[in-house]
Amino acid sequence: MDTNRDNGLIEHERAENDLVALKTSPAQKRTSYINLSKMRKSFALKPLAIGVTGVLLSACSSDKQDATVYTNLQDCVDQNPSAETQCKLAFEEAQKEAERTAPKYNSQYDCEYEFGANQCRNVQSGSGSFFMPFMAGYMVSSLLSPRPYYQPMFTSYSRNSSYRNNWIGADGTSYGDTRKRNLKVRESAFDKKPAVTRTIQRGGFGSSVRAKSAWGSKSSSKGWGG
Amino acid sequence: MIRRPIAPRSNWQQMARDYGFHFHTMHGEPYWDETAYYQFTLKQIEQDLETPTEEIHQMCLHVVDLVAKDEQWLTKFAIPQDYWQSILDSWQAREPSLYSRLDFVYDGKHAAKLLENNADTPTSLYESGFWQWLWLDNNVVNGQLPKQADQFNSLQEKLVNQFKVIANYYQLQHMHFACCKDTEEDRGTVQYLQDCAKEAGIDDYFVFIEDIGIDAQNRFTDLQDQVMSHSFKLYPWEFMQREEFGQFAIAQTPSGTSTDSNCRAHYQPKWIEPIWKSLLSNKALLPMLWKLFPKHPNLLASYFEDDFARQSTVDSASASDFRGKTWVKKPIFSREGANIDVFSIDDNDDKANQSGHKSKHVADASRLSSDGPYGEEGFIFQQFHALPKFGDSYTLIGSWLVNEQAAGISIREDSSQITQDMSRYLPHVIIG
Repeated sequence: MDTNRDNGLIEHERAENDLVALKTSPAQKRTSYINLSKMRKSFALKPLAIGVTGVLLSACSSDKQDATVYTNLQDCVDQNPSAETQCKLAFEEAQKEAERTAPKYNSQYDCEYEFGANQCRNVQSGSGSFFMPFMAGYMVSSLLSPRPYYQPMFTSYSRNSSYRNNWIGADGTSYGDTRKRNLKVRESAFDKKPAVTRTIQRGGFGSSVRAKSAWGSKSSSKGWGG
Repeated sequence: MIRRPIAPRSNWQQMARDYGFHFHTMHGEPYWDETAYYQFTLKQIEQDLETPTEEIHQMCLHVVDLVAKDEQWLTKFAIPQDYWQSILDSWQAREPSLYSRLDFVYDGKHAAKLLENNADTPTSLYESGFWQWLWLDNNVVNGQLPKQADQFNSLQEKLVNQFKVIANYYQLQHMHFACCKDTEEDRGTVQYLQDCAKEAGIDDYFVFIEDIGIDAQNRFTDLQDQVMSHSFKLYPWEFMQREEFGQFAIAQTPSGTSTDSNCRAHYQPKWIEPIWKSLLSNKALLPMLWKLFPKHPNLLASYFEDDFARQSTVDSASASDFRGKTWVKKPIFSREGANIDVFSIDDNDDKANQSGHKSKHVADASRLSSDGPYGEEGFIFQQFHALPKFGDSYTLIGSWLVNEQAAGISIREDSSQITQDMSRYLPHVIIG
């Protein structure tokens, strides 16, 4: 795969404030490695709306699934010469999905603050005028199966963003460095979810906290842990 | 053990936003403080903190084993009778524990002394396991700290591993996580545990304690009406045991008369921490440890109220162990240093004056006290041991356990001898 094509997603220099997780030796007394991109939490500015991504993959398989990020249609075709039709279909569907689920902002400034200069476009819709980032790629799994899975991907070039040079799903999930194209993604299959029932009463826990908070305002906003 | 000043990282507040550390400043006062750090030697960490932490935990398990089987002790521990059987069952099944924090007085020179065991709902976990780790990593990269600088902090690694153990024990794929509303600190702590659980391959769901519901079969539910089968709760067992839903939190005994008892028997809510840990988060643990392991170098003399009253009288054979000494009166249940009272027994004082007195600020500089809403379940007495003073601050060490392994330390400073919820958190390093 030619990762040096000038498509805006070539290898970036690490930003000076980018963090390097030091390798530690077994004798050391601290956690040896923390995946910092997974610890990041939020968009710099809260978008007006973020997408709810669909359930990932089928309900049957239980392991993590291989997925590949393509930066554009040609990228997908180049790597899957015999699957041009599937690439095209997935690309078009991902674009539609991007329109629907991309984080949306009131102003170009807010959008560019998160995603970088010239990374946003204006969209007019029934509910008004918004700014949203361009789709930077699309993630595809099981491309050759009858029902491939696809999802639009975004990325940020902004120094203000904790997602800088990371693949981002529409809901703000980080999928790691944009230099990585082959990913293992976790499915959230139906059979892993809790059973759903009907609740008949709520509020049976918490009375101790109400009672003890009433004692003084000083400690009420502090936790109940110790 | 030295306190050293250091320049704060220029971008730390931006980083705090990126990583979701929202409670570094509370009530307008700094909580996370990186203008200084504490430096330990490896020997201090391993001999004086790591080893005693694991040893004390084993001693605590001894106490659990004794108390869980004995109604007299369960009463002394102020455990409501309805929960006695569940505690014993949970203990005998060895339901897995996640974590604890032992609070120590330690000055780098003398044996660390145990103040209390936060075994049920310890906080300051995120700042310990992740945030101070990141602080060290950054400062080594930017050259502020030497390359060989280390930290006693394997919390995150061990938490992820313990979640795998728990998932395997219960054969679970998903878990609920719960804490109270209106506290960013607790929510942040629980979010961190959700991140660790996710890393262990567990799907995580969140619900506020106050929003928990029950369905027609008395199964707990979240706000999406999903059944809560395995739940982490940052909410004390001693509260749960005294609240309306507490009865549903423990194993249901099929009533026999109920036609759907088979159906009910399938649902046994499982908790982290398990209910047997309510014996350790209880201050009655302290006199119990002193009874079983008297004069242990890492323990402070501690007594139940009645033993204290009897043994400290002038004509008692053991009076010299009490008189002329300073004591701390602590409620059996209390959090964040509330309702603590510190006082001395003079050689000619009558103890009766002591056991009956009220928690009030007293002008006498030799006495300290803190107000609070706790104390109705009784008190224990623990010998006073001054916190070491570094600069203008009193310093307290929190020593973490994940299951039964020592997993790191956290350091808090306070301007008072009683560490309360306005104390500051400082990072530490190991060098040499």
